[in-house]
Amino acid sequence: MTVKIEAFYTPGCSKCAQAKETLKSIVEKLGDERITWRDVNVLEEIDYAVELGVLSPPAIAIDGALVFHALPSAEKFTRELLKRLEQSVRDDAQNPARKK
Amino acid sequence: MLTIGKVAARAQVSADSIRFYEREGLLSPAQKSESGYRLYTDEAIRRLNFIKHAQQCGFSLAEIRELLELKGHDRACCNDVYRVAVEKKLQLEAKIKALKTMSQALNRLIEVCSRDTKPLDECPILAALESSIARETIRSRGAAKRRPEAHS
Repeated sequence: MTVKIEAFYTPGCSKCAQAKETLKSIVEKLGDERITWRDVNVLEEIDYAVELGVLSPPAIAIDGALVFHALPSAEKFTRELLKRLEQSVRDDAQNPARKK
Repeated sequence: MLTIGKVAARAQVSADSIRFYEREGLLSPAQKSESGYRLYTDEAIRRLNFIKHAQQCGFSLAEIRELLELKGHDRACCNDVYRVAVEKKLQLEAKIKALKTMSQALNRLIEVCSRDTKPLDECPILAALESSIARETIRSRGAAKRRPEAHS
């Protein structure tokens, strides 16, 4: 199973862009192909953003659920990712059929 | 200089509204006359129009205050205002979604009604509301009972 990260942002927000790049680099450093990253422009996908409960971009959703209402610190984000990856390994071991 | 009555007439708001905005920190008179009357410049009319338009876009007074502060802040830029507008749009869309859900719930109630002249005791809408209230009560009681077990 992959861990799907979606970063909701407002175009033109320099703070969002800077913080987003920091988090993206963490994903790259982890170098795990089980993590996917998608930038979501809230204005282009407003229905999806509302569905997940995004009220104030930037925000981060993981596996289709809003996890961080604001961009988290690098430590917090890394901790969450590692937790998800471990869970994913456990789930795959228990049920190899769900492995993608 | 304009009196509160003149400003109110030109901006098409009441004098009470102007006093209210002053208490809320959105507007203040340029000066006061010797007899203590509030006096305003044309800037007050521009500000009142700004407040009115922002209210029409769904901004609360606190948010309008934030926008006005941004407007007067040297280091603020378009992006700051843009961010506030995007956040407001997200809030409005979330409200619309919630209202649609409520409207759909009403549709379901309306569908069960045959619109005849039965006594209220037999009204299917009231019955459905009562049963959904009952269901909610049972569900919340059940959840409350289950909660301590989850920790044991």
